[in-house]
Amino acid sequence: MIGHKWTLPALKYPRLIIAVMTTLTLALGLMIPRITVDTNPENMLAADEPVRLFHNEVKREFSLHDVVVLGVVNERHPDGVFNPESLTRILALSRFAQELSDPDNPERRVVRRYVIAPDTVDSIEQDGPGQIRFEWLMPTAPTSREEALAVRDRALGNPLLRGTMVSEDGQALAIYLPISSKEYAYQVRRALLDKIAEFGPVDDQYHITGLPVAEDTFGVEMFTQMAVSAPLAMVAIFLLMLYFFRKVKMIIAPMIVALLTVIATMGMLIGTGYTVHIMSSMIPIFLMPITVVASIHILSAFFDKYQESRDRVRTLKEVMDNLFTPILYTSITSAAGFASLALTPIPPVRIFGLFVAFGIMLAWVLTVLFIPAYIMLLKESTLADFGVKGPDRQRQEKVSALDRHLNWLGGFTFKYFRLILILTVVTLGVAALGISRITVNDNPVKWFTEKHPIREADRVLNHHFAGTYEAFLVLESTDQQLSPAAAAQLLGQTLREAGIGPEEKVWAEQAAAEAVAVAAAGDDLEGFFQELETRWEDQLFAAADDVAYDFWATAMNHLVALQGRGEVFKQPEMLQWLIELEEHLIRGGTVGKSNSVTSLVRKVYQELLGGAPGDYRLPESAAGVAQTMMAFQNSHKPDDLWHLVTPDFRKANLWLQLREGDNQVMEQTLADLERFLAVNPPPTALEHHWAGQTYINVVWQQKMVYGMLWAFLGSFVVVYLLMTLLFRSPLWGLLAMIPMTVTIAFIYGLIGFVGKDYDMPVAVLSSLTLGLAVDFAIHFLQRSRMAYDRLGSWLLAKEEIFAEPSRAITRNVIVVSVGFVPLLAAPLVPYKTVGFFIAAILAVSGLATMFMLPATLRLLERRLFKPVRVRGQES
Amino acid sequence: MNIMPTAVIAALLLFWPATSATAMEVAEIVERANKASYYAGDDGRTEVRMLITDAQGRERERQFVILRKNIEVGGRQLFYVYFERPLDVRRMVFMVHKYLDRDDDRWLFLPDLDLVRRIAASDKRSSFAGSHFLYEDVSGRAPVEDSHQLIEESADYYLLDITPNDPGSVEFSRYTARIDKSSFLPVYMEYFDRQGQKYRTVEALAVEEIQGFPTVIKSRVRDLAGGGETLMEFSNISYNIGLDESLFTERFLRRPPREIRR
Repeated sequence: MIGHKWTLPALKYPRLIIAVMTTLTLALGLMIPRITVDTNPENMLAADEPVRLFHNEVKREFSLHDVVVLGVVNERHPDGVFNPESLTRILALSRFAQELSDPDNPERRVVRRYVIAPDTVDSIEQDGPGQIRFEWLMPTAPTSREEALAVRDRALGNPLLRGTMVSEDGQALAIYLPISSKEYAYQVRRALLDKIAEFGPVDDQYHITGLPVAEDTFGVEMFTQMAVSAPLAMVAIFLLMLYFFRKVKMIIAPMIVALLTVIATMGMLIGTGYTVHIMSSMIPIFLMPITVVASIHILSAFFDKYQESRDRVRTLKEVMDNLFTPILYTSITSAAGFASLALTPIPPVRIFGLFVAFGIMLAWVLTVLFIPAYIMLLKESTLADFGVKGPDRQRQEKVSALDRHLNWLGGFTFKYFRLILILTVVTLGVAALGISRITVNDNPVKWFTEKHPIREADRVLNHHFAGTYEAFLVLESTDQQLSPAAAAQLLGQTLREAGIGPEEKVWAEQAAAEAVAVAAAGDDLEGFFQELETRWEDQLFAAADDVAYDFWATAMNHLVALQGRGEVFKQPEMLQWLIELEEHLIRGGTVGKSNSVTSLVRKVYQELLGGAPGDYRLPESAAGVAQTMMAFQNSHKPDDLWHLVTPDFRKANLWLQLREGDNQVMEQTLADLERFLAVNPPPTALEHHWAGQTYINVVWQQKMVYGMLWAFLGSFVVVYLLMTLLFRSPLWGLLAMIPMTVTIAFIYGLIGFVGKDYDMPVAVLSSLTLGLAVDFAIHFLQRSRMAYDRLGSWLLAKEEIFAEPSRAITRNVIVVSVGFVPLLAAPLVPYKTVGFFIAAILAVSGLATMFMLPATLRLLERRLFKPVRVRGQES
Repeated sequence: MNIMPTAVIAALLLFWPATSATAMEVAEIVERANKASYYAGDDGRTEVRMLITDAQGRERERQFVILRKNIEVGGRQLFYVYFERPLDVRRMVFMVHKYLDRDDDRWLFLPDLDLVRRIAASDKRSSFAGSHFLYEDVSGRAPVEDSHQLIEESADYYLLDITPNDPGSVEFSRYTARIDKSSFLPVYMEYFDRQGQKYRTVEALAVEEIQGFPTVIKSRVRDLAGGGETLMEFSNISYNIGLDESLFTERFLRRPPREIRR
């Protein structure tokens, strides 16, 4: 056995080993203060990912920003927030918010011109007969109930504000604060909360939400979590180890190994310039159980054997001979499991996987060197009463519930192996059913627990308003240009059809001939229109009477209409189609409201016509639409139009407000659109693309699900090959895969049945399972084989296996799984999820190892253990 | 007897600023600047090309003709703005009767909708046709709305610091205007927001004398906060062409007067 040779340096120069290791780790640890945090879920995709490039392009092209939503609700006052006091406070908040910028980095600020608040939006309305008025909705705070209600009614009368700035029930109001950088969201929230606190106790409730706030706040709280949860888990593990091994001085060693591993790995991560993403913040929590597990195997064996010789060098050599190979292989397989994440297309997951893998291998080095070195440094007297004393063994077994149980288990698995295997198959079947029920879904807001203010805000605001989650549907014309000749022909045709009187017929021919002549002069369509326009305009101003003037004015209109044909989002038929599309999406239920150029044009046109409710419709011609838009552009915020359409009118943007941020909701919206397009093609060809944070989340999630699946299958194969190599047998290799397969099936089956969404943390857990579950199997099988080689039958071998090796496994299961229970108290859901599933994985894989492996060994004894290998006695 | 000197001093203190030479001069500068920029001639006509460039560098064009008639110098004025481009707003008309003592009357004619609408004009700080120019930049801001202070004078210009009398009615906290001494045209104006940040400039890029009137033929507004600018170029400018007051009535909205064409 070679195991102890690797440990020799630790036995010879323990001080040096410990000094070197600690120094190196601390050196790496010095990097940690350089940490930069990244909580932007967009970074789940590489920066050059097409969907992100497009998203940024859309944001730029339509001047869109990430938005912090401040909602104000008043459930005491009969008029809701539309009372002078509440509105006065809202105005103060709005003015305060508009000026916010980061003092350390002025580039981070609230983008004032695009703020949607009562004092920053225009209201368009009737102001006496034949007169319309553009004015700020609420430039100063109202002083009477009437004024307050007038603000409400004017806002409700504007489809662009209704459901967005003012709730449809007229009770609540929301301010939308675009921010120049998503990373500024948390500071905006803090500043607003401070300002709100100045109001003292009031009836208004203030809620702050929006994906950027959720994401940025998550980032901040994540670190509190890292500082609380990971140490808490460590304390729990420490206490449990204390219970099993009694000696504080002994169990300090695995804690130090875990700590060194975590510090070195995080130092390495940060030192190599990577940002700490939501994923990588979990590295410590993933590394801890894996690190502790290996140490516990050594400690457990040492604990059981030491009193036999009371010679630590001898005991250590013996223990390392037994454990070196399994620990090496468990480390390699765990590392391989995590390294396989490098195959996913998601950068933060790749980094997470690689650094956990690095940490595992580092932990292996530390374990096989540091633990023996540490034991060597302890005083002999400290060890005097460590472990199970030889003479007491029999008595001890009677007292130890664990040993009694293991003994029973050995017998049970031997006797009822068929029952166990049948139950295994049944479990797998049920798990398969559960897995088929898994729903893939994620929602960064739901990373907070139900009671978190952000969840509360999310619930309240999405109850009152049309939705605080944004998705952008961008439609772009792919229409081809006409040739000048074709344009001339179309114009001539229209004019001839329009001419009624004899004079008009003559003019129509004249105009048509002119068009053909101009078209013949060149291929440039723009030039054709310009030349023709100049000529006809001369005719217009030379008109002798109103009949002539009207004819040439009409002719000009046709010319303009034809020229404007490429401006598809001025065409009434296209806008009508868009309205139908929006109505379809809203009927689908996921979309609370669609903000687009159609509502703006209809609202302005309605007011131009006199404001009657029935006049909320589109103008009949493209020029009518253009003139309506021009009228709108005489307002305070003409540029608001360019959020909805590009100045060339070939691209339109639908700002969809979704009531929920679940990826499923977004996916349903995508499907709804496809259904509509399949039945209702647009009047002229359009391309459509999606953008917006809610959509990006769907894209990376899809990548993650499939990425994880491939990574998992890949590492499954790698681990199988490693096992085959380790055991020098494909069959044994297969055997080693059983507990892990069952655990994974069980865990994901459970997720399916419980209805827990398959989200980011859940996806990553498959790698952890791979690493941890195979660990026990390796120990169990390796030791079984060693015992069988010595004893020649499973009946005898199992006695040995269900003693020391099983105790190590059981202690591990209990220590690590219980150790992660404190995570359940975390206020961030991904930590809870991870805590629960680490505990479950440990427990299930422990059980699977202890029940299924002995049962299978019993069933396949003759095949697995070749008779030639049996030494000594006959069974 | 003792009272007299005190009363004299009090009177002096009270009236000193108003009677000071500088204060007089400021009022005069403001008045002359107002007349030079908005009241040249009895009437006038100009063709305008407006190029709006947004923060992304996208350009939009407006082309229109302005007819103007003064009813009273420094006071009531009539404007008729006839749109030629973009083509689909051709024949749109924006007409203004400007008053000093009450809100202006404004009309909008939308040819395709065959619709004349009056537009309430209590607030003149709204965009002019979607450009960076505001309605007030085009028609003039009444001097009585602001307090003016001369803060600098050089051989070529006066620099005025101007604060609104009703800060709530405007989006700026103050602005400065550099007024050219020879023409009395304001050639450079800087607007400051409530934080004191400069966010907007209006400048005359070229001035030419036309029929004896110094005339801005090219001007530009820059949006420093959001990016983007609008360039306005004036051509075929003529003064004292004998525009009749009757042209500036609703009757001429649907069919523009021939004076629109040169």
